[in-house]
Amino acid sequence: MKPFHPNRRKFLKLSSAAVGSGLILGMSWGCSAEDQGSGNSSASSFSPNAWLVIDNQGTVTIFVAESEMGQGPYTLMPMLLAEELEVEWNSIVVKHASLDPAYGYQATGGSASIRKGWSTLREAGAIAREMLLQAGAAALQAAVSDCKAAQGKIIHKPSGRKIPYRELVSSAAKLPIPEKARLKELHEFVIIGQSIPRTDIPDKINGKARFGIDIKLPDMLYATITHCPVFGGSVGQVNASKARKIKGVIDIFEINEGIVVVATDTWTAFQGKDALEINWNPGKNTTLSTVQIADRLKKLSPGQGETTWQEGDAEAILSSGKTVVQADYIQPPQAHIPLETMNCTAHFRDDGKLQIWVPTQSPSKAHETAKLTSQSIIKRGLNKLFGAGSDDIEIQTTLLGGGFGRRLKQDFVSQAVQIAQRFKQPVQLVWTREEDVQHDFYHPLTLHKMRGALDENGLPVAWELFVSGTKISASGISPPPYAIANTKVVIKNTDEAIPRGPWRSVFAHYNAFAAEHFLDEMARAGKQDPLDLRLRLLGDHPRLQKVLKAAARGAGWPGQAGTGYLGIAAFSSFGSHVAEVVELRRSDKQGLVVHKVTCAIDCGVVINPDIVEQQMEGSIIFALTAATKSSITVKDGQVEQSNFHNYPILKIDETPEIEVIILSNEEEPGGIGEPGVPPLAPALANAILSATGKPVRELPVKLSAIKV
Amino acid sequence: MQIRVNGNRLAVDAPEDMPLLWVLRDFLHLTGAKYGCGIGACGSCTVLLDGEPVRSCITVLGDVQGKEILTIEGLSKDNSHPVQQAWQELQVPQCGYCQSGQILSAVALLNETGNPDDEDINTAMSDVLCRCGTYPRVRKAIKLAAKTLRKGEAT
Ligand code: FES
Ligand code: FES
Repeated sequence: MKPFHPNRRKFLKLSSAAVGSGLILGMSWGCSAEDQGSGNSSASSFSPNAWLVIDNQGTVTIFVAESEMGQGPYTLMPMLLAEELEVEWNSIVVKHASLDPAYGYQATGGSASIRKGWSTLREAGAIAREMLLQAGAAALQAAVSDCKAAQGKIIHKPSGRKIPYRELVSSAAKLPIPEKARLKELHEFVIIGQSIPRTDIPDKINGKARFGIDIKLPDMLYATITHCPVFGGSVGQVNASKARKIKGVIDIFEINEGIVVVATDTWTAFQGKDALEINWNPGKNTTLSTVQIADRLKKLSPGQGETTWQEGDAEAILSSGKTVVQADYIQPPQAHIPLETMNCTAHFRDDGKLQIWVPTQSPSKAHETAKLTSQSIIKRGLNKLFGAGSDDIEIQTTLLGGGFGRRLKQDFVSQAVQIAQRFKQPVQLVWTREEDVQHDFYHPLTLHKMRGALDENGLPVAWELFVSGTKISASGISPPPYAIANTKVVIKNTDEAIPRGPWRSVFAHYNAFAAEHFLDEMARAGKQDPLDLRLRLLGDHPRLQKVLKAAARGAGWPGQAGTGYLGIAAFSSFGSHVAEVVELRRSDKQGLVVHKVTCAIDCGVVINPDIVEQQMEGSIIFALTAATKSSITVKDGQVEQSNFHNYPILKIDETPEIEVIILSNEEEPGGIGEPGVPPLAPALANAILSATGKPVRELPVKLSAIKV
Repeated sequence: MQIRVNGNRLAVDAPEDMPLLWVLRDFLHLTGAKYGCGIGACGSCTVLLDGEPVRSCITVLGDVQGKEILTIEGLSKDNSHPVQQAWQELQVPQCGYCQSGQILSAVALLNETGNPDDEDINTAMSDVLCRCGTYPRVRKAIKLAAKTLRKGEAT
């Protein structure tokens, strides 16, 4: 038994907020007052905290504060709560929580939802269960110790008499929040660990699912924006006469980030944008290019960086006359390209409220952004409608048509607010795909320089890792897990004018590629089997060892001569450990194809195996796109790509067979949205090295061009 | 102008050169077909025109007169179409944004071929993009739906 002591102040605060009208209003967005239950004096429902309302019909509504972008929080978070609450899964209704301080800072990223919710949501469920247990024992006129909670009922164990939760909501609502509540042991779980079907799927197969771009409001106007193609540039002269002549174009104006066209429908807004004749002031970045950035990074040496980690004396060993292996790896910028382009709908209502509907990974950041933007609007005296305090901003998070980190930025929210303040009607801002590709916050260009020394047996004895690039890629490098006596990590942070942001697995993606491919380069130079070498050097990392062995076994390591070429890599990130084996085969046409990827993950306690599998499949495909197909290049200060024809993503016919092996154990749950990404590129490069004898020094690599 | 969508005759007041996608979304508020690229490169906007999959972002209103348009909303009332059932069974969607296009392309394929092999699936589905990487499940679900449909015919 593991009792815990809930933070009494926190839960009391939630509780009182939950029964006051403030939170009920805040939580009731999108559902009627009846839906919410009262949770107050009339007590037709029970809402001990912000995550949960049980009404007197027995419906259990669970509010999810995380953004659903395909990674499963609308299913996983309720599973955690329902497990402790002891309710039947099919009695649950899942709703998205509106923005409320009760949930803390609302942002979904860093594969953190489960790691956060693992304690909070189970505690929220356990507290509610304890209160119902007390209320139920009283109703059954029995001792609490003689009662248990199961399947939405309180049961008197000796007699088998029972009373359903719905009959206890009013009495439970009057009880004080308990000092402690017991959390279940792992072996008692009945919901956690099951492949429960996702709650968001039924509406995603019939067109009912509402993404941000699907918001429709009475009298709504449609807007689109064009940004200066050169980063950091601004609007010069605009000739909008042609655009204004288009039937349905309502207004054209400048905001901070570019020129906006407002129209009666999206397509007319797009047409208006295309008809604009704009002379941009390109600003100071007209010579900016990725070629130039790469050249600059190539010239840097470890002496110019900062040593962030050191063990032994790598430098001395490297210059002591041993066999030295050396490699530079360059990885290009990548865009996020969620399939739903950036959009946001905003309405300055007559009653002074600003209402916003947005597919965002961070409603809290969206709120801050909207507040800042509206304050500056008020300051400049631009807004006549918006007289009320800027706290009157309501954010509704819609479903997200993909996120991958892009929707942690809120540029589109600021834009929608600037646009909507000019109109009485709601306005929906939708970016074209071209703007989306060219005005992203990119996964930045990064360069690694590696040097390693081998002893007379071919084993690595020194390793110097030098990474240069922007903060978001370079600073995240950590020392490799391998027991190499002399290891040194050096970082050089550079500042580039290309906007940057987190991209699925952030720095883990770059650093896994360079480190795990270099390990194979060292293994090859020292005539070692890459798997044996890893296992030998990972004595302190049993979880990594296990996933490596499982993936290798699943893939039939080391493979049979003449059929395929295997490459293996492993990486720990976001609290999980993943190994992947890529099997390449000769293509019937030209070069190589990825035939199969075998993935083994240890993410601690598994909440929902099928969702883990989905995330591994998705991560592998996402990573394969970056490793073999896409890249962003910048020339003359502009992104050269603009749509799927020149920023291609993986297609179904290029997708290999994927096998996912989940190693379950009793460790704390780790993340699942990102950890599947990092091992893919190095496993692929290692397979290429095994097939051709040649390493991959730059991504993406064109498989069809590889000669075997 | 009148068009036939999901068995209903509907009047729309939109210019003839407007792509069907925006007529459906902004005029008829049928938002199941999605905007992903606007250039016919992603398949998110796929609808069936007389049973044939078309990219509604590059098919203009003037060209769909007298034709039967099927959108995802018209596939079934209750998720009961065998393709939808296979999608539910195998838990295909992740973010879900591309899925109307995936499902309708699969429906069109299965109308043509009762027993599609991997090559058939590649040909029919390779231009329907999914950034979330649901392809392995799309492939499995098409095969499952094909099986259900064949069983249905046999009985
Ligand atoms: S939106 Fe029509 S194909 Fe992409
Ligand atoms: S499910 Fe997200 S794009 Fe396909």
